[in-house]
Amino acid sequence: MATVNLENIKKSYANGFEAVHGLDLSVGEGEFMVLVGPSGCGKTTVLRMVAGLEEVTSGTLRFGNRVMNNVPPRDRDIAMIFQNYALYPHMSVSDNIGFALKLRKMPKDVISKQVGEAAGILGLINWLDQKPGQLSGGQRQRVAMGRAIVREPSVFLMDEPLSNLDAKLRVQMRVEVSRIQRRLGVATFYVTHDQTEAMTMGDRVAVLNNGSLQQCDVPQVLYDRPNNIFVAAFIGSPSMNLYEAFLGSNKTTLSLGSQSIELTDDLVKLRKGLNRYAGKKLIIGVRPEHLMIPGSNDQPYLYGDVDLIEALGSELLVHFSIDARRVHASGVQEDLDTGFSISGEGVARAHARTNVSIGNRVQIGIYVEGIQFFDPTSGNAIWD
Amino acid sequence: MSVKPGVDLPETSQESVAGKAPSFNRDRSRTGILLVLPAAAVVSVFLLVPIGEAIYYSMTNWNGLSAQWEGPSTYVTMFKDPLFWRVLENNAVLLLAVPVTLMCGVTLAALLNEHVWGWRIFRAAIIVPTAVSWVVLGVVGIQAFAQNGMLNSMLGSLGLHFLEHNWLGSPLSALTAVAITFVYSLVGVNTLIFVTGMATIDPSVYEAARLDGATWWQSFTKLTVPLLKRYFVFTFVITAISAFSALFSLIFTMTSGGPNYGTTTIEFFIYQQAFGTGAFGTGALLGIVLLVILSSVSLMQLRLMSRSE
Repeated sequence: MATVNLENIKKSYANGFEAVHGLDLSVGEGEFMVLVGPSGCGKTTVLRMVAGLEEVTSGTLRFGNRVMNNVPPRDRDIAMIFQNYALYPHMSVSDNIGFALKLRKMPKDVISKQVGEAAGILGLINWLDQKPGQLSGGQRQRVAMGRAIVREPSVFLMDEPLSNLDAKLRVQMRVEVSRIQRRLGVATFYVTHDQTEAMTMGDRVAVLNNGSLQQCDVPQVLYDRPNNIFVAAFIGSPSMNLYEAFLGSNKTTLSLGSQSIELTDDLVKLRKGLNRYAGKKLIIGVRPEHLMIPGSNDQPYLYGDVDLIEALGSELLVHFSIDARRVHASGVQEDLDTGFSISGEGVARAHARTNVSIGNRVQIGIYVEGIQFFDPTSGNAIWD
Repeated sequence: MSVKPGVDLPETSQESVAGKAPSFNRDRSRTGILLVLPAAAVVSVFLLVPIGEAIYYSMTNWNGLSAQWEGPSTYVTMFKDPLFWRVLENNAVLLLAVPVTLMCGVTLAALLNEHVWGWRIFRAAIIVPTAVSWVVLGVVGIQAFAQNGMLNSMLGSLGLHFLEHNWLGSPLSALTAVAITFVYSLVGVNTLIFVTGMATIDPSVYEAARLDGATWWQSFTKLTVPLLKRYFVFTFVITAISAFSALFSLIFTMTSGGPNYGTTTIEFFIYQQAFGTGAFGTGALLGIVLLVILSSVSLMQLRLMSRSE
């Protein structure tokens, strides 16, 4: 078992492109750390540097107290699960799982026992003699997992291991991977671009964008207190509704386009930073579950026009337009793998039996305590 | 299939399956036959008829003008001729060059695949012989192995005069010289085939092996070589076929089959018999022997390929 520390890690290539800019991150013993971000944000590069498959340009990588920058991959005591599984196609499942042990020249009976145990955990006993080409995607994923766990490594690295599976199997394997990781208690880096996977699997989640760490925290904090509009927009499905707004000089009147709502004094007191924005523009973010359709007169509300309704069975997603200007966090919208990429001005969750139709003008209640505020220039959250 | 009493089968659907499918298949077969017919006619005229004729003439004493039927005894006579076996022996020795060609090819491919320093220059140098005529390669072979050739010059400049030798002047060394030139000629093609094969292997497999603790050599022997199995089979077979059927120009240029039949292969022997002595019947017989050998190698390839799949 080991902790992993990345201290001011940078990665640049011969053409001058800097993929990772000074990353500081630490993963504790047995911790499940998820690296999440849009395509090209540098998350896989980080993982490959930890694996030793990419050189660290500058900074220090430590496992425990040992500096690993120049240690070859085979001596790092790590196991990695690749996005395409990277199974050895000419070997049987059993040989795939036991390959690393064979290279260590372990006795055949020991290899056989450990392979059997791993196969038992992963439900692969009946497939040990099959070749990878004869297996389904889910089974291949399990073999890759088996190959990793049989080595009893100090660190697990997983590079989008579920991305090739269908939606149902992905949910199932998500649970299995989490269960096995907790059972083994090995420090784990898990790379994904799927924020649902990140939120459900990680002890902590590190959100990356353009090679920089945006925020690293436990999933609920990322959701409740995003550091900036990128994290706010990236975490959560459907995405947070972000609008340009104007805070009145009384610090409680918030204008969105031609409409306005009143913030509570408690909220303004809690967000001391809002004082600096009195009479100025800012960006507000509202989660879809903090918008109520239909709204009521005893809470702040806006009027909006319903553009589209998606019935999910358990709830409705109501897409609406208001005349406020919507803000898009760069790099987020095009990469969200959520299926909610239609260009409605906003989206609200509503009860499945809500009586609402496309074209209706509806009252949309706002839970003001749930509103997030961001600086319009830096995009950083406004708190103190 | 047995049907239990009382169970109604959907007759119409059975009819539709039983009635339509065979007629559809018959139509497809008929179309297929029609499409293949022109090619089959060409193959028959230009391949099967000449083979039939060659079989016929192989049992005659055909001298190019007239042929007298002698029957299968021509084969018995040939198989009793020590020169025939000597020629086959030369071919067998040249076959030993095949694994050497393969090993050189896969080693060079592995080095090119690793992008070692100057790999682009090496790649060009290795591939050039493939674009050069066998006759030119034969001349290069003479330049290398003749009494006053490059090899002897090199040995001389290293002070190894006692090793200097007319390499093309004695049967065994001449055959070795031909074999080395043969390896040089084919190593480029083999390297290209192996480089192509290596490009089909997923690089992440090697990365996984590195993380599993494999050294470069272990990755090569336990991953690259087994994953190139089909390419090995293919290369082995085309190189073996070349050893039997593509060396005429090389031998003609370098040694003319000598000294004392030391470098005469069955292919060259056909030429000597038919066009050297006018024994076209014997030439036809040797041609049939060569056909049988090459067909066996090709069948072996098919079997090995199907096994490796």
